[in-house]
Amino acid sequence: MKIVVDQEKCQNHGLCAISAPANFALDTDGKLQYHESFNEENIDDIEDAVDSCPLQAITLSRDAA
Amino acid sequence: MARQPTTSYLDITGEHFRMNSEEVRKARTTHWYARTEWGIAVLTYEDSSFLLKHPQLTQGSAKWPAQHGVVGGRFDTWWQKTLLVLEGDEHNRIRRLVNPAFSARQIEPMHDRFRSLADELIDDWIDHGQTEFASRFAAPYATRILCMMLGIAEHDWKKIHELAATIGLGLGVTIKQNIASIDDAVVELTRYAQSLVQSRRESPRSDILSTLVATRDADAGKLSDEELVNLVILLIFAGIDTTRNQLALSIDSFSRQPDQWEKLAADPDRYATKAVEEALRVNPIGRWISREAAETFQHRERTIEKGSTVHLFTLISATDPAEFGNPDRIDLDAERSPHFAFGGGIHHCLGHFVARADIGVALSAMATRMTDLRIGEGAEWLPDSGNTGAVTLPITFAQRH
Ligand code: SF4
Repeated sequence: MKIVVDQEKCQNHGLCAISAPANFALDTDGKLQYHESFNEENIDDIEDAVDSCPLQAITLSRDAA
Repeated sequence: MARQPTTSYLDITGEHFRMNSEEVRKARTTHWYARTEWGIAVLTYEDSSFLLKHPQLTQGSAKWPAQHGVVGGRFDTWWQKTLLVLEGDEHNRIRRLVNPAFSARQIEPMHDRFRSLADELIDDWIDHGQTEFASRFAAPYATRILCMMLGIAEHDWKKIHELAATIGLGLGVTIKQNIASIDDAVVELTRYAQSLVQSRRESPRSDILSTLVATRDADAGKLSDEELVNLVILLIFAGIDTTRNQLALSIDSFSRQPDQWEKLAADPDRYATKAVEEALRVNPIGRWISREAAETFQHRERTIEKGSTVHLFTLISATDPAEFGNPDRIDLDAERSPHFAFGGGIHHCLGHFVARADIGVALSAMATRMTDLRIGEGAEWLPDSGNTGAVTLPITFAQRH
């Protein structure tokens, strides 16, 4: 599974970075940076990030990365 | 050297200041910001979007009580620890724990209950062809939903409504003269919140409060009882007035665009979400969002000094013709950029999924049952300060058959 962020929707609020700091971060320009692949042990955090995004811009895709 | 542009001055302190005025619109065509009594006001969409999430701009509301000579009482002590004013790690830790409880996934199953409540309230006056919307729909609807979410007995709603309104005075410029009753309300609500937390711990139910208690108990020490009680008070205080007033503002806007009201009525499943977004865009309860500069920084030609205030004018940025076509009209079929009525950045409104859902349900319920919606004689509005809304909002309508 991999993380997909819809760049059209994302408004760089950074709530995903609070929920799952291992995978999401805002860079110094305030733009979202994220890793598509993740460790299974972080799945709860990532699901929280998916839920918390105000724009619902994050999805988990089942396609192999 | 770049020529310093001329910027307008807007007197936002006055009772007659109107966000939706020619004066403010004109200022927006002149420059990206205007000067005010309290710092600069950002007017354009592009600059609002950028500055709203700027890392050097913090929420900065912690000082509010002290600025009005209120220090160390019950209200101030509570305020200093609310999620609303916390910054940095402490904010992020609590926000991370509470976010999932307010997700769309948690709210979705409640739609039917929102709808029954809306219909029950409408039943009370639908045969009369008129009602006073603020007290006969907006207040009970907003408050009883909050009770539902927290699992408070709904018949207590009037009491809850009163306490929330009293604590709300803490954000008014008259805070100092009202502080005794505000402090009392905080004491009473604290007691109430403690007993709620206690009862959910003993017998969990399917409400947000139980989820939060479970979060606290499962992640021992992560969310203390004190933090939990503080949060419950914040939810009661922040969750009622916002929805209540936004409902009235939305009805006011739709009454001026019957074609869009009819469109919503014809297909609420399709248009409810858009109806909420458009109402929030053209007529938001939060007229401006305030930020404080944590450091001095440069934005375009302007140096923003450390400690200075930056207001982001939500209605004005969300009706900026540079970003939106036909910007002042609600258009349920238009593709629009996101507005900032729920703020933004890591302080983005926690309750936005709830608000979006319950306002959407309320507007759908009303549109499907009422047509020829008009604002009646004697509507009374709050001044256009940071927040606004209706004191009384008489409406007339024809029943839809
Ligand atoms: S929370 Fe959503 S909108 Fe905000 S940065 Fe993350 S993906 Fe983007």
